[in-house]
Amino acid sequence: MITKEIIDHIEGEASLYFEMQEKRVDFVTVVFPHFRGMENMLKGKSALDALVITPRVCGICGHAHLMATVRAIEDAYKNSGHPIEVSNKAQNMRELTLTLEIIQNHLKWLYLVLIPQLNNFENITLSLTPLKGAYGASLATKALAILAGQWPHSSYMIPGGVTSDPTYIELMQLRAHLEKLSDFLEKETLGTTVQNFLSFESCKNFNKIASDVSSVEQALFDLRMHKKGFSHDDFIVLGEHRFTQIAKSRATRLYNVDITKVHVEDAFSPQEKSYAKNALYKNAFYETGPLARLISKDVKLIKNMHRRYKDSNYTRAMARIYEMVYLLQHSLDLVKEIDITQDSCTKSVTLSKVTAQGIGVVEAPRGPLIHKIKLKEGIIERYEIITPTQWNISSGTKLKPSPAQKAMIGLNKQEAEFVFRTFDVCSVCTTH
Amino acid sequence: MAKITKEERKNGIISAALALFSQQGFYVTTIPDIAQKVGMSVGNFYNYFSSKEILAKELILYISDYLGKNLREINMKEITTEEKIQEIVSMYFKMASDKPEMIEYFLRVYLSNREVFGSDCAGMICVSSFVTEMMIFFEEGVAKGDLHNQDFFSAFGLFMGYLGGMVFLFGEALLPEPLKEYEESISLNIYNALKHRD
Amino acid sequence: MHLNTETKPKLLWLQGVTCNGNSHSFLNLESLEQLLDKFELLYHPLLASTFSLSEITSLQNSCDILIFEGTYDPEFTRNNIPLKEILPYYALHAEHIIALGTCASFGGMFQSLAPERNSGLLYKVEEEGGPLIAYKKRVINLSGCPVHPEWLATTLQMLLAKHTIVVDDLQRPRELYSSLAHHGCTRNEYFEWKVDTKGFGLKEGCLFYEQGCRAPLTHASCNTILWNEVSSKTRVGTPCFGCTEPSFPRTNYFQTKTNMSIPQDVPLGVSKRAYLTVAGMAKTFHIKRLEGVLIDYKRDH
Ligand code: SF4
Ligand code: SF4
Repeated sequence: MITKEIIDHIEGEASLYFEMQEKRVDFVTVVFPHFRGMENMLKGKSALDALVITPRVCGICGHAHLMATVRAIEDAYKNSGHPIEVSNKAQNMRELTLTLEIIQNHLKWLYLVLIPQLNNFENITLSLTPLKGAYGASLATKALAILAGQWPHSSYMIPGGVTSDPTYIELMQLRAHLEKLSDFLEKETLGTTVQNFLSFESCKNFNKIASDVSSVEQALFDLRMHKKGFSHDDFIVLGEHRFTQIAKSRATRLYNVDITKVHVEDAFSPQEKSYAKNALYKNAFYETGPLARLISKDVKLIKNMHRRYKDSNYTRAMARIYEMVYLLQHSLDLVKEIDITQDSCTKSVTLSKVTAQGIGVVEAPRGPLIHKIKLKEGIIERYEIITPTQWNISSGTKLKPSPAQKAMIGLNKQEAEFVFRTFDVCSVCTTH
Repeated sequence: MAKITKEERKNGIISAALALFSQQGFYVTTIPDIAQKVGMSVGNFYNYFSSKEILAKELILYISDYLGKNLREINMKEITTEEKIQEIVSMYFKMASDKPEMIEYFLRVYLSNREVFGSDCAGMICVSSFVTEMMIFFEEGVAKGDLHNQDFFSAFGLFMGYLGGMVFLFGEALLPEPLKEYEESISLNIYNALKHRD
Repeated sequence: MHLNTETKPKLLWLQGVTCNGNSHSFLNLESLEQLLDKFELLYHPLLASTFSLSEITSLQNSCDILIFEGTYDPEFTRNNIPLKEILPYYALHAEHIIALGTCASFGGMFQSLAPERNSGLLYKVEEEGGPLIAYKKRVINLSGCPVHPEWLATTLQMLLAKHTIVVDDLQRPRELYSSLAHHGCTRNEYFEWKVDTKGFGLKEGCLFYEQGCRAPLTHASCNTILWNEVSSKTRVGTPCFGCTEPSFPRTNYFQTKTNMSIPQDVPLGVSKRAYLTVAGMAKTFHIKRLEGVLIDYKRDH
């Protein structure tokens, strides 16, 4: 018998159609029922208009969409024979604000999704403090807004750089907000210093701290999540950033990738129309997001976890938490590197001279986000968006399940729904 | 006999000065010349204008306001952009025929002796009422889809330069026909040069 | 609403076609905890709440304040129930209805996806053509893409305190939308003296003449109630896109529409003649202080 569950309290809404056998998931298909059609909306508009429209694909990762758009436009410039120089300063600013958006995302996921969902299991009693997540996230977005003007829905990245031109005072204020966030995390979330946390090499280190993170870690163990939720153990990172490395990996072995080998196909959803398309690399599914990124960076703790617990749900969840701290350190480093004597934005030839295609790839909170643009004299002829959730939460067939489908098989329903949420589902993006 | 008001006196000085400046030039014309022409004492003249430079500035403001007022009336009419061009050309040529000293003053004094007007007339301040109306004419023409969207000065130069050139030829008595005869063809030329292109 | 010590007003947060942007914007509110304490949250798409989505869509409860985020598309479903059933059910008895964001106010970003069907709660772009027009007096429009968290907080506090909310002719609280996004911009002096910025990425200059800034035509308090408490678009050199007005989304956001180099739209309520006269005059004066760079970081390097 097939039963349907509506999943909310994710970004948007999704339906899961479970095929159960003796109370275990035998197969599950995923349906994203909502459609918006933002790609069509862009047709016939000036390429720069996409800088305003695409952030509005998603309220939680709009900044990643902005960056994918600006990269796609700059790539089109290059392909039309008018390459654009972007100063180090602007590149650092872009990477910093993108990083801060990922941090706010992970914080919200931890406190608004993971902890409440863990708490739904019998015998797990964690303290519910959703507003801690919101508060921490607001510190990250405050720092972000100093450079980008506002969050959500900033459009401060433009071809050639960024619109803002920060002063020393602003950079110091930004740093102060990050330090405040760092103190907050140490006190409220980690139970130890950021530095100490980042020096952890084994899961045993969590035993020495008493904090939200150690309680979550314990709860995951108690629920045997280190033995559950295994997927294909194939990962992919496609966006170019200093906090990760472009690669695909079979377990923890890295291989080169070629972005042109990415393609999409219709989702398998016999019960109901799904507006999400599956994203694949050379016809195979890959898991994306924090775990993939940290593996590509050869991070000790994550490698150790992976050696012991493979791509279990424990590893997947802990990687998201670890990455939040890892990126906080990265952003503190980035602030120091912003050289305000450099130009924020370089001039480029007028957009009407650009007739070419371009591709922009960034790592959004949940993994690679790809924007493809086709311009004729600066006007958008075609726009295509492939989002991270299309990788992780594709809906494949029984013979060829997606990472999330595979991870749910063999679990009871509650566990399966929990595993589903540890992929940090963004239905809003997926049905752009 | 009705008493001559101060305002009328002032206007008298303005027309006398306009005539003298545009015939003889700014430097050659003296205050006593002007006072004599209006029939007042030099001392009384100073009750109206404290210097020749200030008078010069008043004159250009006067001309600009005069042109601006006429243009504004045309701008407010509910007629096509092409008809507006005809009216502007006709208004300008009429002024050149009826009050040649105004145009002469603008060309021979204002444009040729910029030092006289100093920083008070920097940029287009002293001709702002006229230029503003031209801006409104152009902006509305483009907004309506009648005129080609281009740089303001390219359009302004084409329009005013053409009219100025014709008035110059007329002033030098080089035109075989009276100015009025040219109104239609010139309006059409201007419209064709500025109109919306597909 | 019947506010006494035992019962808190019941707040329901419903979504139409949306990006979740207003929900996330709201989470930035500094006094979030204190504000939420004053309500019983029946449902919120991100925050813990009394009921689940399926309980809400079973249409058996009622709320005192209904917040609706997103474009209204009657056929759009939540938990398979179309909005045309959910919205009227809760709207009927809600004492106050807040249309949150430009989508819910005027149709906004997702209006064009199904222009015949989609709308805001009261307005379809500028025309009264939304599903709740009969309840107009009870509906407050909080436009913005997204809405500033403080705007929502202020409105909720005013409702709690039973203050009369004076609204403009688009049903937006004048408290928040009476002035323009231009007010308080750090570039105001450049605007006054008509000093254009020389390009993007600079602290100096105003973005009105070339870069497309819509702030002098946009009702919003972005430069007085700062975003994330720290900044605003124009402060970081991004033009205002006019996101609080029915005309949003527009096109050509990064370029001022000019006709023969003259801005097609001039500041709200100012005649073009008046604007051009003053602008022409101001442009004539060359003010050195406003023409150079404010801080020459390169000089000492
Ligand atoms: S940039 Fe925009 S908001 Fe700022 S002063 Fe200029 S017009 Fe006003
Ligand atoms: S500055 Fe303009 S575009 Fe930006 S949020 Fe305010 S009203 Fe909207």
